[in-house]
Amino acid sequence: MIIKELIFGGLDSLKDYIAFHILTCLIPAFLLAGAMVTFINRQAIISLLGEKVNKLKSFSLASIFSFFLAACSCTVIPVSSGLYYSGAAIGVAFIILWVAPASNILSLVYTGSILGSQMVIARITSAILMAFLVGFVMTLFFGKEKEELSFVREKENIKFLKTRDLIFLILILLSLLMPNYLGRNSPYIKKIIIWLIFTIIMVIYAVIFINKEKIKEWLYESWWFVKIILPLLLLGVFIVGVVGKIIPESFVRNYLGSKGIFSSFLATLIGAISYFATMTEAPFVHTLMKLGMGKGPALALLLTGPGLSLPNWLAIGRVFGFKKTLVYVPTIIILGTLIGFIFGKFIF
Amino acid sequence: MKIIIAGPGCPRCQATEKNVRDACAELGIACEITHLYDIKEFAKLGVMLTPAVIIDDKVVISGKVPAVEELIKILSEKK
Repeated sequence: MIIKELIFGGLDSLKDYIAFHILTCLIPAFLLAGAMVTFINRQAIISLLGEKVNKLKSFSLASIFSFFLAACSCTVIPVSSGLYYSGAAIGVAFIILWVAPASNILSLVYTGSILGSQMVIARITSAILMAFLVGFVMTLFFGKEKEELSFVREKENIKFLKTRDLIFLILILLSLLMPNYLGRNSPYIKKIIIWLIFTIIMVIYAVIFINKEKIKEWLYESWWFVKIILPLLLLGVFIVGVVGKIIPESFVRNYLGSKGIFSSFLATLIGAISYFATMTEAPFVHTLMKLGMGKGPALALLLTGPGLSLPNWLAIGRVFGFKKTLVYVPTIIILGTLIGFIFGKFIF
Repeated sequence: MKIIIAGPGCPRCQATEKNVRDACAELGIACEITHLYDIKEFAKLGVMLTPAVIIDDKVVISGKVPAVEELIKILSEKK
């Protein structure tokens, strides 16, 4: 009986989710992700990040460009370690390691459509704030040691994004944002119409201005995201539905609902240990919030969920060494807790 | 020809290896294909964006899954 109820809980959340998100949220999100891989020259971004400039400048560059670099923590480790071993500062390497998964564009837009724009702004600001602090802490501890491997990186002076492609990316972004912002609080059919209008504009632009080879590559890359992320996302939503049935509301309210520091700490810990594939953190947090989770702890979980996980700790340990992991992980947990606490108490 | 595929074990990297093998089979050339999983080794090869394909110490593909046709083109130029 109970098991049946749990499964139905899971299926229910899956049904709602599929009905209301596939067209206006997921499809444009995957198309955007595919377009970012196809049209943004990530090699050019990387060579920009490896440049030896002063700390403030290199930290800022790393924080901003990480937004466009990767969709999950597994793709970002090679980038970060590659930069580090080819001579970039330790602070820069760990900023990328943190910001890229914790606040990549795909997750941000998706967070916005589920949790609202206030949460997105909070997520971006706090991710960047944490990035600078993480960069600073890592420099403080390990700034002096240098383990440079001798390989020469080719200097590239290519633009990282052509204007024509930029417009295309913006059009895809609009087809993702507009249904959820213009159509907020209106019937779903209106969202679909808005989505359709923007999608048609985007397709017409693509046919006229983007060459066929590139379009093929773009769709191919988008399909990859569908294949990799969609099953995880659906599984995640199902689990969320089941979890929502298992955990009593009083439990969430007591342990994750207060404005106290403990709630944020618990949320951070859950996020830092368990693995959340890109985008799965948003429906998870959404369900917990419906059960009474506070906004501060929610923010903490949104940040550390995709940014850190147990398998991720191990990978970082293998690549960067035990000592750096021992500093990095607790730093993130402390900062995440503080951010959740401060935002929950004073800002939201 | 020595071909190295660099990828931390993700599905995209497996697909890349498969496409490389398919391309070699199609061209009928014998290649020594290795799949490198250790991220720390990537840096030495100059690879940051995975999956990457390295042919005779030169990175030819990085950050995407190459289509079989693309690989065939690259391989026949190298031959």
